[in-house]
Amino acid sequence: MAATRAPQARRGGARRRTARAGLLFVLPWLLSLLLFTTYPVLTTLYLSFTDYNIIQPPRWVGWQNYRTMFTADPAFWTSVENSAYYALLAVPLGLAGALGLALLLHTRVQGMGIYRTLIALPVLVPPVASTIVFIAMFDPDNGLINALLQTVGLPIVGWLTDPTWAKPALILLSLWGLGASALIFLAGLQEIPRSLLDAAAIDGAGVWQRFRHVTLPLLTPVILFNLVMGVISSFHIFTQALVVGGTTGKPLESTLMFMVHIYRTAFRYFAMGQAAALAVVLFLAVLVVTLVIFRSANIWVYYEGSRGSNR
Amino acid sequence: MSLKNQSGCWHTLDRRAFLRWLGWGGGTACLAACGTASTPASKGQKVIVNFWTPGGGGDFCLGLDAIARDFEQHYPNIAIAETQCGTGDQEFNEVLLARIAAGNPPDAAVLWTSPAALAARGALLPLDALMQQARYAQAENWPPAVLASCRFAGKTYGLPVTAGSCGLWYNRDMFEHKGIPAGRDDFPRSWDELRRLSQEFTVWKGDTLEVAGFIPWHAVEDLAIWSALNGSQLYDAVQRKYTIDAEPNVAMMEYAVDWLNQEYKGDFARVTRSGNWEGYEVEGRQPAFIDQRQAMFLTYSWNMGLPIFAQSASTWNMARLPVGPGGTKSVAGYWPNWLALPKGSRHVEQAFAWLDYMSGVGVQTWFRNVPDLPANLKVPRDLLPTALVDGKGKAFAQDIMQFFRDQLDSVTPMWDSPVQDFATDQLRRALEQIMHKVATPRNALAEAQKACQGALDKVLIAAGP
Amino acid sequence: MTHRDRTQSHHRGSRTGARRAGRSRLRCCLAPLMRHVLLGMVAIAFLVPFYWMAISALKDNSQIFARPLQWWPHPIRWDNILRALHYPSFPFLRFLWNSVFYAGGVSIGTVLSCAAVGYGFARLHFPGRDLLFAITVSTMLIPGIVIFIPTFVLFKHLGLLGTYAPLICPAFLGNAFFIFLLRQFFLGLPQELSDAARVDGAGEFRIFWQIMLPLVRPALLVTALLSFIWTWHEFFGPLIYLSERSQYPLSLGLFAFRAQHTTEWSLLMAASTLATLPLVVLFFCTQRSFLEGITLTGIKG
Repeated sequence: MAATRAPQARRGGARRRTARAGLLFVLPWLLSLLLFTTYPVLTTLYLSFTDYNIIQPPRWVGWQNYRTMFTADPAFWTSVENSAYYALLAVPLGLAGALGLALLLHTRVQGMGIYRTLIALPVLVPPVASTIVFIAMFDPDNGLINALLQTVGLPIVGWLTDPTWAKPALILLSLWGLGASALIFLAGLQEIPRSLLDAAAIDGAGVWQRFRHVTLPLLTPVILFNLVMGVISSFHIFTQALVVGGTTGKPLESTLMFMVHIYRTAFRYFAMGQAAALAVVLFLAVLVVTLVIFRSANIWVYYEGSRGSNR
Repeated sequence: MSLKNQSGCWHTLDRRAFLRWLGWGGGTACLAACGTASTPASKGQKVIVNFWTPGGGGDFCLGLDAIARDFEQHYPNIAIAETQCGTGDQEFNEVLLARIAAGNPPDAAVLWTSPAALAARGALLPLDALMQQARYAQAENWPPAVLASCRFAGKTYGLPVTAGSCGLWYNRDMFEHKGIPAGRDDFPRSWDELRRLSQEFTVWKGDTLEVAGFIPWHAVEDLAIWSALNGSQLYDAVQRKYTIDAEPNVAMMEYAVDWLNQEYKGDFARVTRSGNWEGYEVEGRQPAFIDQRQAMFLTYSWNMGLPIFAQSASTWNMARLPVGPGGTKSVAGYWPNWLALPKGSRHVEQAFAWLDYMSGVGVQTWFRNVPDLPANLKVPRDLLPTALVDGKGKAFAQDIMQFFRDQLDSVTPMWDSPVQDFATDQLRRALEQIMHKVATPRNALAEAQKACQGALDKVLIAAGP
Repeated sequence: MTHRDRTQSHHRGSRTGARRAGRSRLRCCLAPLMRHVLLGMVAIAFLVPFYWMAISALKDNSQIFARPLQWWPHPIRWDNILRALHYPSFPFLRFLWNSVFYAGGVSIGTVLSCAAVGYGFARLHFPGRDLLFAITVSTMLIPGIVIFIPTFVLFKHLGLLGTYAPLICPAFLGNAFFIFLLRQFFLGLPQELSDAARVDGAGEFRIFWQIMLPLVRPALLVTALLSFIWTWHEFFGPLIYLSERSQYPLSLGLFAFRAQHTTEWSLLMAASTLATLPLVVLFFCTQRSFLEGITLTGIKG
C-alpha cells in the first residue's frame, strides 16, 4: 500500500517526475503530430475557404464552399442521409456481433485456433479480391445470398441493384470484417483475471450473472474503444462504397457515402476547396458524436486503474 | 511485494538501453527504407523520360516496355524509364494531381480522363507547336471529331492515341431462328424499326426477363451518341453551353421510357435484376448475350479482340446505329485513350517524341496486347485482333475492323467538356432517375442541365478568356 | 448448470440424484457438441468468401461466374497457380519480400511507439494530457484522402519520394488507433501495481517495461497482428510513394491482373490466395498466445 502521508515536497517532486516521464513517453507522438498532422490539417482548413483545383494556386472565396454545400448541393444531403443510415445500423450490429463472436471464441473448445482463423479470414483477404467476391455473392440472379434465401423460401432481393437493399448489403458486407474488432474484444477478455470469475462462481453466480457483473464491467474500456472506432470508421467507409456504387452511389445514389462524395469532389471534379470544406464538416460532425460518447463514458465505463476517478 | 517477483522473463533494461534500442531499431529501419530508393539507371548522356499509365495489367505494361526499347533504337539519346502502371482506377488522378502539385509529375502519361477537363485547369502543356514538327502526330492526321476531345480554348492538349468506335452488335443466330434477314444492310435504320424488331425477341417468364431484344439507352457513356442520332447534342463545345434539356433530348428520353413501359413492364429494376444486359462483364456478372439471352446492344471496338466475343459460340455481326425521329444520319461514338504532357514535365521535346512515336508506331504493338483502335490516320489499316482471327476467321475479322474504322469517320463530338466527369455523374444520376421512374425526363434533364451549366460557368470563369 | 440446479440437487434424495447425475452427464456431452455446431456454423459463414476465392483460383475463367454456382472446380486447374506466379510484371517472391519488409517494419514500429505513448496517456499525469489525448482521437476523424497531398509535398521536400521511408518511418512515431487501444488496456490495470513499484523505488520506465508491458501482452499482440495485416493490404501509400515496380508490395502487385477492359479472374484469385496464405499462417500461429490469461497474484490482501 502506498504511503498516504508523503511530505509535501516529495509529493510535488514525484508529480514532476511522473509528468516529465509522461511527456517523454508521448514524445514520439508529439513529433508525429507536429510533422504529419498540424501542417496538413491547417492547410485543409485554409483550403476550405478557397477555390482550389490542386494545379493552380488557391483563390480565396470565404464561406462560399460552405454555403454551396448546404444550399446548392443536393448530393451533400443525400450522402449525409446515407452515411447516417449506414452508421446507425452498422455500429450497433458490429459492436454486438463482435462481442458475441469474441465470447464464442473465448470458450475452451478443441481446435479453437482453427475456428478463430476461419472467422478472421475475411480480414486477411486482399481487398482487391475480396470486394469482388462479396459482390459476386450478392449477385441477384447468380449469387449465394439469393440462393440461400430461395432455399429457405424467402423472395429474392435485388441487393446491389435495388436502391432499398443496397445499403443493407453494404452493412452485411461490413459484418464480415468483424474479425478485427472481435480480436480486440478477445484480447480484452483475456485481460479479465480468471481468479475473479472463479471467485464469482464460488459465490454462486451463474453464467449470465458472471458475464453481467464481472466480465462486462471490466470490458467497458474495450467496448468504448470499439464503439468510438466503429462510429469513426462507419462515417469513413470508402473503398467498399466506391466499388459497390461507383462515383455516383448507384443504384439511385443509395450507396453514395460522405467520403465518396468528398473523394469525387476532390479528384473527379477537381474542386479541392469544396472537398476540404466537406472534410471539415465531416470532422466536426464526427467530433460531436465522439465527444458525446466520451462524455457518456463517465457513466458506464469502469477503469480498474483509476478507481473512483474516470477517464 | 517487491519488483523482483515481477521480473519474469523480461530482462532488466533501463530506460537508456531501451531508448538506445528504439533509436537503433527505428534508425535502421528508416535507413533501410531510405535505401530502397530506386537506383536510377545509368544512362550516360541520355535524357530519361518518365511515363505513366493509369492501368493496364501485366501484359500491357510489358508491351509498353517493349515499345520503349524499340523507340530507344530510333532515338538513342532518349531513354524511357520503366512504365509505371497504376491500379486501373480513379486513383491515377489522385497520384497525378499530387505529383503535379509537388512539382515532379511524370514527363508523359496516358490519360483516361478527358484532356479538355485537365487542360481547363492548367494541368497539361499545349502541344500545337510540337505537333507541327511531328512525324505522325500532326493535327491533320487525326479525325477532327476525335481530336476535338483534346482541345480547349483553341489549343490542343492531348493526342487521342486510340479511339474505340462503336456499333450495334446483333446475334445472327437468333435473327435467323426467327426468320428475320440478318445482313448488315437489313438491320433497322430507325428507332421505330429497332423497337419493333426488339419486341420479336423479348420474353418474360413471370417476373424475370428471360430474353431481351434491345434495351433502350440507359448507359451514360453512350448518351451523347443517342442524342446525336436524334439530331441534337448534350454539350456544344463551340458555344461552350450544355444543351441537356433541349427538346430533342427530352423526346429521346421520353421515347426510352415509353419503350420501357411497352416492352419491359416499365420496371427497370426488374430488368437489372434479371441479368447483366451490357456487352461486357460487370463486377464479375457475366453478360446475358453469352447465353443467347440478348439479341442486340451497343458495343465498342475493343471488345472484338476479347475472347468473350471472338470465341463466342453464336454467330454475330455489327450494324450501324439506327437514327432517331429527329435525326438525319447515322453517327457513332468513340472512347479514347489519350497521351499528354503534364505541367511540370521536365523534358518536353523528348517526351513528345515518345508520344509521337507511340501514336504512329507504338500503338500497333499496343493493339496486339489490348485491341484499342488506333486513331492516327498514318497507322496502317491492316491490323487485326488475334483473338477475332482465331475465333471467327480472317475474312470476318477484316470486315469487322473495316466497319469500326469506317465508323470512326462519322463520330459525334464527345469527351470535350471541361467538366466532363462532373457532367457524367450528373447525367448518370438523371438517367437512373428516369429509368427508375423517380423523375420525369423533363425534370431530371433540367436538373442535370442546371448543375452542369453551373459547374461549366464556374470553370470557364476561373480559366479566364 | 445454474445455481439453483446445484443447490436443489443437494436437497433431493439419492434416487433423483442418480437420475440427475445421468442427465447432467448427457448435458455435459451435449454442451461441447452444441458449441462446436454453433462455432461451425459461424465459421462457415465467415469462411465462404475465402473458400470462393480459393476455388476460383483453380477454375477456368468462364466457370468462375457460371450459373448455377459451382462449389467445386471441374476440372481443377492446378496450373493456374504456376501461371499466376509466372505472370508478366508479377514477380511474386520479390513482391512477397517487399510486403514482409513493409508490413514488418510498420508493425514493429507501431507496437513500440504506441505502447509507450499509450502508457503515457494512461498512467502518467502531465499537464495537457487529456487535451492531447482528445486531439489524438480527433486526428482519426480527418479524412486521409484530403490531407495526403500536403503530406506528400512534405516528403517530396525531404527528398524521400521513391523509397519506403515515408511509409515505414512515421509508424515509429505512433498511430492514433493503436495509441487509443493500448491506452484503454493500460487503464484497465490496477493502480496498486505501479504505486507499489514506485514505493520500491523503481523508475517510471522500469515500471513500464517490467511490470505494465507484460500485463497487456494480448493487446500488444493484437496491435502487432492488426497493423501487420492492415499494412499488408495497404496499396495507396506504396502507389504514391514508390516509383519502381520492383519495389511494389503484393497489395500493389496484384493489380497486374487487372487490364483496362478485362481481368484475369482465375489468376487474380490465385495470386490473392497466395498473398493471403502468409497472413493465415501468421494469424494461426499468433492467436494461440491469446489463450494465456493473466493472473495477477499477490495484489489483494
